[in-house]
Amino acid sequence: MSRPTSRPALVGALLKKELKAYSRDKIYLFLTLLVLIAIPVAYTFLPTTVSETITLAVSPPVTSMIDDAKDSLRAMGATDEQLAELDNADLSQQQEGLQLIEFDNEADMQRVIEGTLEAWRTDDGELTLRDKEAGEDEPEGAEKLGLDIGIAFPKDFITDVAAGKSGVTVTVYSDANVPEEIQGAMTSFVREAAYQLAGRQLPVNMADEQSIILGTDRVGDQVTLKDKLRPMLLFMVLLMETFSMASLVSTEVLQRTVTAVLVTPVKIGDFLLAKTIFGTFMSLGQGLLVLFLVGGLTVQNWSLVLTVLFMGSVMFTGLALYVGASGKDFMGQLFYTMLFTIPLLIPAFSVMFPGSAAVWVRAIPTYPIIDTLVGAFNYGATWSSSAGSLAYAAAWLVLLFGAGLFALKRKVETL
Amino acid sequence: MTAPAIQVESISFNYGDIQAVKNVTFDVQPGEILGFLGPNGAGKSTTIKMLTGQMAPKSGVARILGKDITADDPEIQAQIGVCFEEKNLYLNMSGLENLDFFASLFGIKDADSMEVLRRVGLADRAKDRVHSYSKGMRQRMMISRAFINKPTVLFLDEPTDGLDPVTSAAIRKTIKEEAERGAAVLLTTHDMFEADELSDRVAFINEGEIVALDTAENLKLKYGKRSVKVRLRDGDGVREEHIELEGDGSSARLAELAASPDLMTIHTEEATLEAIFIELTGRGLEG
Ligand SMILES: Nc1ncnc2c1ncn2[C@@H]1O[C@H](COP(=O)(O)OP(=O)(O)OP(=O)(O)O)[C@@H](O)[C@H]1O
Ligand SMILES: [Mg+2]
Repeated sequence: MSRPTSRPALVGALLKKELKAYSRDKIYLFLTLLVLIAIPVAYTFLPTTVSETITLAVSPPVTSMIDDAKDSLRAMGATDEQLAELDNADLSQQQEGLQLIEFDNEADMQRVIEGTLEAWRTDDGELTLRDKEAGEDEPEGAEKLGLDIGIAFPKDFITDVAAGKSGVTVTVYSDANVPEEIQGAMTSFVREAAYQLAGRQLPVNMADEQSIILGTDRVGDQVTLKDKLRPMLLFMVLLMETFSMASLVSTEVLQRTVTAVLVTPVKIGDFLLAKTIFGTFMSLGQGLLVLFLVGGLTVQNWSLVLTVLFMGSVMFTGLALYVGASGKDFMGQLFYTMLFTIPLLIPAFSVMFPGSAAVWVRAIPTYPIIDTLVGAFNYGATWSSSAGSLAYAAAWLVLLFGAGLFALKRKVETL
Repeated sequence: MTAPAIQVESISFNYGDIQAVKNVTFDVQPGEILGFLGPNGAGKSTTIKMLTGQMAPKSGVARILGKDITADDPEIQAQIGVCFEEKNLYLNMSGLENLDFFASLFGIKDADSMEVLRRVGLADRAKDRVHSYSKGMRQRMMISRAFINKPTVLFLDEPTDGLDPVTSAAIRKTIKEEAERGAAVLLTTHDMFEADELSDRVAFINEGEIVALDTAENLKLKYGKRSVKVRLRDGDGVREEHIELEGDGSSARLAELAASPDLMTIHTEEATLEAIFIELTGRGLEG
């Protein structure tokens, strides 16, 4: 006859079995390898340029700049042919991959890029500015533009250039959230465009950082694309782990081995605890490995990063328990995992793009996690500056994890 | 008399509108094997699920080793062994690993899992993953797992399901050994021969209710009729006649047939559990 075992010993025995099951399933092994090899490798070879349509603000409007220049140029002896050539160089004509939004006023443009003023455009191309702080209404039948880069040409730019005046400077304003790579690309683009207009090299300066600071927290920090990707990679690890973990749970449920376990001295609480510990530590462990491979942990941020990673691991484990209890087979499993994880991944994607996240993105449970990670990695966030996010994340964690535990408990009890 | 190891008082269970078990009452003594017989869907497995704590009875009380089953007491759970109807084994682990894992859940440090596998004839496949086992081998794994903690109370839901005759006989022997060791055994089966051979008492359950419960012998006396079957030539064919040995004039009729030139064979007909089953449930086992 046997003696009843202590609870830690039971949970230990369950964990040992969990590890065995995990290490023997080809799918989990595959996913784990994928995470540990593919992600850091992909990260290393990540392209540093981005191909997409770039929306560019420009001031003053190119056409008016040209028109203004024509008279003085003619006075300087330019022929009609030469002036017609100038029209051809008009940047406002649609070019592939480039969309120009023209501002009459450099100060307005600067405010739009800073985010203190909104720019809206109607279908027929009319530009309307809206000062949200001043309580102005949203213009009707217009869409809001996301502008992150603006180029300001000095007054009489063309004339000065044509006159061969030295010290003509073009200023590029940029949102601090725009990746360095794109900023660099913009600068060369402007240099190229200016060359086309002026027929010679012009000094193109990034405006002094102090003068174009945007947002509130992220003052002056330029974040590279790679840096932005780091939190997303950590998220991918959690996603993969969620899938593995959910399979591990559902196998146990579908093959009803859990029933056999529960008629022994093991209680349902021990079972759930073992699954939770296992899921959390697998996620956390792999998250740390990836973190180690892609870098990013510093003396200042490590405790915050680890805490947030831990919270994310528990949250995703809760999700795995929920999915594992719901899926009826492998495909059902896949479906549920996707159904739940894709929305939860949105905040991770949103941080890759400049500008602040929409309200509905902030409402997603994983937003505070990713936001804190981004803050800790890229903007020197501290415990106190992240307290709000952490509390919000904790609330979601309790809710999601509770739902997972409840669903699995119910499922197991009604097997 | 010792206290019953399994004591069931009027338990019931329903799945929604389906009344699966109705006011079932019985008990099993230590060392006793109770055969639980009944057609498909009669409520046998549902009863076992309640007694093993998988589901709580909707009404009534059941005690295992004197403790109410709803108490979910680890000390009691440490002493029960269950062979489920469904083969719920860890397929990715070997037979030996399956047993070692369950032994660890029972807190058995020095489990001789190999010996248990030997008893069910799986010693030579001990290191293979259960994945690679045949249906009958998996069934034997199920039985060995039920034995791993040397249980005081054993619940066996169709333990010889899908086993060949020789293996069945070997498994029946191990079940008998468990009872001889002192385990109370509740066993369901659709094999009337097995029920007859193993059970100290049998319970017939039909549509959730126990319709008879006694030793097989007493039941045969009560429900069985002594009769003989006489086969006679009938033109080119064969004619059969059943003669009750107890009725009036049966001996005269028997003497008459025995003298007939058409007589081929005379066999006595013993009342079988199967005949009782059909009489009690109004249908065949596969009904
Ligand atoms: N999970 C379930 N949900 C709904 N009804 C169920 C469930 N399990 C069993 N039943 C119903 O309960 C009744 C008793 O089923 P049970 O499994 O106890 O029968 P059984 O005597 O073990 O039959 P078998 O010989 O086929 O194993 C049946 O009518 C069955 O349909
Ligand atoms: Mg059954």
